[in-house]
Amino acid sequence: MTEQEIIEKTNRVFEEAFEIEAERLVPDAHIFSDLGLDSLDIVDLIVALQKSFGVKIRNEEAVRDIRTLADIYRFIATIKQDEAAKQG
Amino acid sequence: MSVRHFDNIVVGGGVSGLTMTLLLAMSGRRVLLLEKGPRLGGSLARFRKDGVWFETGFHFTGGLHRHGVLDEILTLLGIRDAFAPVFLTDPAENRFYFEAEGRCFEHPVGLAAIRQRFKADFPAEAGAIDAYFDKVRSVCDRTPSLSLRDNTIAPPTLDEDYVSLDAVLKELTADPLLRGLLSGYAMCYGARPDEVSFANHARMACAFYESLAFVRNGGDAFIDAFREKFRGYDIEVRCGTTIAELADLRDHRAGRFLLSDGSEVTTDACILTIHPAEILRLLPEKARSRAFAARVDGFEPAAGFFALFAAIRPGCADPYPQAAITSLFPQADVNRLLDPAHDGEAALVIIKPPVPAGERAGICILEPNFVGQVAPWADSALGRRPEEYRQYKAERVAAISEHIFGTLPAYRDTLEILDAGSMLTFRDYLHNPDGSAYGIRQKLQQFNVIGRLPVHNLFAAGQSALLPGIIGAMMSSLIVGRAVLGKDEYGRFLEGAWR
Repeated sequence: MTEQEIIEKTNRVFEEAFEIEAERLVPDAHIFSDLGLDSLDIVDLIVALQKSFGVKIRNEEAVRDIRTLADIYRFIATIKQDEAAKQG
Repeated sequence: MSVRHFDNIVVGGGVSGLTMTLLLAMSGRRVLLLEKGPRLGGSLARFRKDGVWFETGFHFTGGLHRHGVLDEILTLLGIRDAFAPVFLTDPAENRFYFEAEGRCFEHPVGLAAIRQRFKADFPAEAGAIDAYFDKVRSVCDRTPSLSLRDNTIAPPTLDEDYVSLDAVLKELTADPLLRGLLSGYAMCYGARPDEVSFANHARMACAFYESLAFVRNGGDAFIDAFREKFRGYDIEVRCGTTIAELADLRDHRAGRFLLSDGSEVTTDACILTIHPAEILRLLPEKARSRAFAARVDGFEPAAGFFALFAAIRPGCADPYPQAAITSLFPQADVNRLLDPAHDGEAALVIIKPPVPAGERAGICILEPNFVGQVAPWADSALGRRPEEYRQYKAERVAAISEHIFGTLPAYRDTLEILDAGSMLTFRDYLHNPDGSAYGIRQKLQQFNVIGRLPVHNLFAAGQSALLPGIIGAMMSSLIVGRAVLGKDEYGRFLEGAWR
């Protein structure tokens, strides 16, 4: 999966599951202060990302460190790489 | 009409709501408890048929031995003395029949004794059995919420939360019969071994391994104990009432609560111990994300039961142990037995509680069922079911009876079926959305709805929030209660309770 695909898919989650306008979805956007999510939305975000990317996400340190959209892109890319490595 | 204020509102009068109400009231809060149905207790309630008492949901429990998890919860709430447990002590009182293999396994009491017995039953699998029980013990030791003396609000997840029971068992042993035996307690939470996490299986099964007990007067003993204890506190109970609407939603908080009895109340925090689908229905669309709705919509119901309510015919001697739990597995693959798509012969759990001399024992026979089996009549209401539904019920009663008589033949001439209930019966009598016995199915990689909700003065607890069964339901209220009270106030409550 390319970086661009990850960005598009992640942004679609924010548009569809959290009803946030596409033009606000820039990599530096802070998911709490800019996009208006609150800490309680994180679990729903994880569930939506799991479903969208078909990955398993653990509710652990790396998730708690997420602040910006770019953090999520990197986080998903890492999970995808780990899964590919396991299968390979 | 004046708007009354309560420190807390608790919605749902089942065991989780009763626990939450008492916990908050014992901490000095003024609490309003709302129950949609006509009386408190939810599936703790018993009923009487032809003079025989039957349980609807509470049949037996683990954890009632001294310092067991339920013993500690009841002690913490100051109601332990109200309960008279009747422990199963003879291994013959807890039997698992594997019918295709013609084998019967008995469960002695305590992890160590069960481990020894299973090793004697499966001598070639001693290493696997040791590894399994070590892992069960290890998960429980690393789950701080199982110790009420620990004031941790957010328990960490374990590696075992991310692997299924089935995967662990397949790694440990190639013997399908042993895997079936070690997954047998899945009947007590209603999810398949390949979809439940090993950690959650261990947390639930461990309480059963340590001790199993009936309780005198069953679920009613809990209802009576709570009602009695409530008298000493500032608690108002309204049955037949629920929240109709959340009003004045501002800054992620509900300002006023409009109740179905026409009154209005305000509160600092409202705790919903109801089904997640009911929680979703209560939250206005603008107050929650589509992602939250999608998460709740993604939950699937756990197994429910088709139940036969039976008794020994007057004048007959009971041919089997007096107080006992007997499980019949037509095949060893519990994944199939708990698969909603399974269309072969189902498992049965036959539960016979002890009764005072002179009374007839109410024998409950439970066959795991799923909502699909009663889907054709899902729109019908109590007392207004169509003829085909009555035929379905009669067929199930006949098939289940024959199943029992095949393995326990002495019941053919001694057992009398007094009544039967389908998942729809349970749904409509117990006021839950689908008749499932255990709320939502506990699946790997699933994030339950627990704790603070998108409307921030609302919280979720209950058996779907944490783990099924009476222990999971009560435990959810203690964990969420900690969040509602705050760590310091909960700490003071703990100190006072143990003193």
